[in-house]
Amino acid sequence: MTDALTRVPEASEFRDRDDYAAALLNVVGDLSAEKSRLEELQRASLNILEDFAGEKVRFEETQRAMLNLLDDFASEREKSEAANRGLRVALESLRLAKEAVDSANRELEAFAYSVSHDLRAPLRTIGGFSQVLIEDCAAQLNDQGRDSLHRIVTAVDRMGQLIDDLLNLSRVTRVEMLRGPVDLSRMARKIFEEFRKSHPERQAEIVVADGLIGHGDERLLSVVLRNLIDNAWKFTARREKARIEFGAAPAGGGQAFFFKDNGTGFDMTYAGKLFQPFQRLHAMREFPGTGVGLATVKRIIERHGGRVWIEARPGQGATVYFTLATDSEEREVR
Amino acid sequence: MKTKSILLVEDNPDDVELTMRALAKSHVANSVDLAVDGVEALEYLSCTGKFAGRDPCLLPQVILLDLKMPRMDGLEVLRRIRSDEKTRLLPVVILTTSSEERDKVESYKLGANSYIRKPVDFSQFAESVRQLGLYWLVLNEAP
Repeated sequence: MTDALTRVPEASEFRDRDDYAAALLNVVGDLSAEKSRLEELQRASLNILEDFAGEKVRFEETQRAMLNLLDDFASEREKSEAANRGLRVALESLRLAKEAVDSANRELEAFAYSVSHDLRAPLRTIGGFSQVLIEDCAAQLNDQGRDSLHRIVTAVDRMGQLIDDLLNLSRVTRVEMLRGPVDLSRMARKIFEEFRKSHPERQAEIVVADGLIGHGDERLLSVVLRNLIDNAWKFTARREKARIEFGAAPAGGGQAFFFKDNGTGFDMTYAGKLFQPFQRLHAMREFPGTGVGLATVKRIIERHGGRVWIEARPGQGATVYFTLATDSEEREVR
Repeated sequence: MKTKSILLVEDNPDDVELTMRALAKSHVANSVDLAVDGVEALEYLSCTGKFAGRDPCLLPQVILLDLKMPRMDGLEVLRRIRSDEKTRLLPVVILTTSSEERDKVESYKLGANSYIRKPVDFSQFAESVRQLGLYWLVLNEAP
């Protein structure tokens, strides 16, 4: 076949004209077949070239997309670097804030220490020497003089109590907490027992539910229970049949512990003030106290991730509720 | 028999007066010697300085030690008393205004025998001092 294309046969190679003509015709026929194959080949090549051009366009598009991505990536990187810088600045200001808090705490501690020392000393002098006057010179004084001295001594005691309560209030915010399960039922029974012993003349029905377990710092929670029991005990003093109950009730998906008494109660209009230090709803001579107890309770409960609230009606008693974060909730907070 | 003394270490003259009065009221027969700060307390025990003429063999029956004092505070006095062989076993009662936990802990760590907070109320204070005198001067057998 290839030979036929490259070499046209010489006339002498054929026996006669007819043979020669037939051979030429054959060659021409072969040539035209070759031509159409070539044309097909050419079309196929063109198709391939066209396809290739399409591929090229797609490739260029991909390349542009890649370049865009790289651009985006670079700007993202810049953004994340900027975010990192922002984070470092935030961390630094956090560190500074923590230092400020630490130094404020140290100052507070120094202040509490000096209150504990320096404010009590002159108070002791006033009280002490008033007592000396009462003991040694009462005979030389008239009734008004003796009454004045007694008032001084009483006021000194009260101020001493206020200083102590204030120190305790600041202490419950400063002290380090050791958390664990605390048997509140047992703790409440023990405190109620102490109150009964120190007031044997009181007839009070005490009801404590079994198995109330709270999660928190044992010492701080005992301060909470003691304050709430002290209140309930105090405000039921005038009831012939005083009743104080410690229990738990469902509240907001968890449980709330409560102390319920049938004591004096109060008008709920003033309930908001109760958790502020030195707020009292009753006259001093009716129910003694410094008004720091519930503020202390609130601080401790808040440190435990809980809430405290009161429901009361005048003459119908009061119920103090409090919640404590559970073990798992506390972990989330951390 | 010589009466053993009490050493009161106290810088506040009002507190000195009230403590003396409370001791007198509780019929503590012992004489009370006074040091007005930590430095004087150590001079008393070593019979130097202001107390150079004292008989060095005589140690007080008990030391009533205030914590917050000028020059040298109570904790430092206690530390030195406990590190001196001669006074190592002396009963030391901390008598202070502070109810701070760290003062209490530090005092006991350094070997205080008691820690008493001076109450604001004088009758309570007198009662504390009376019990203190009874315990350390009558009941307790010194080493």
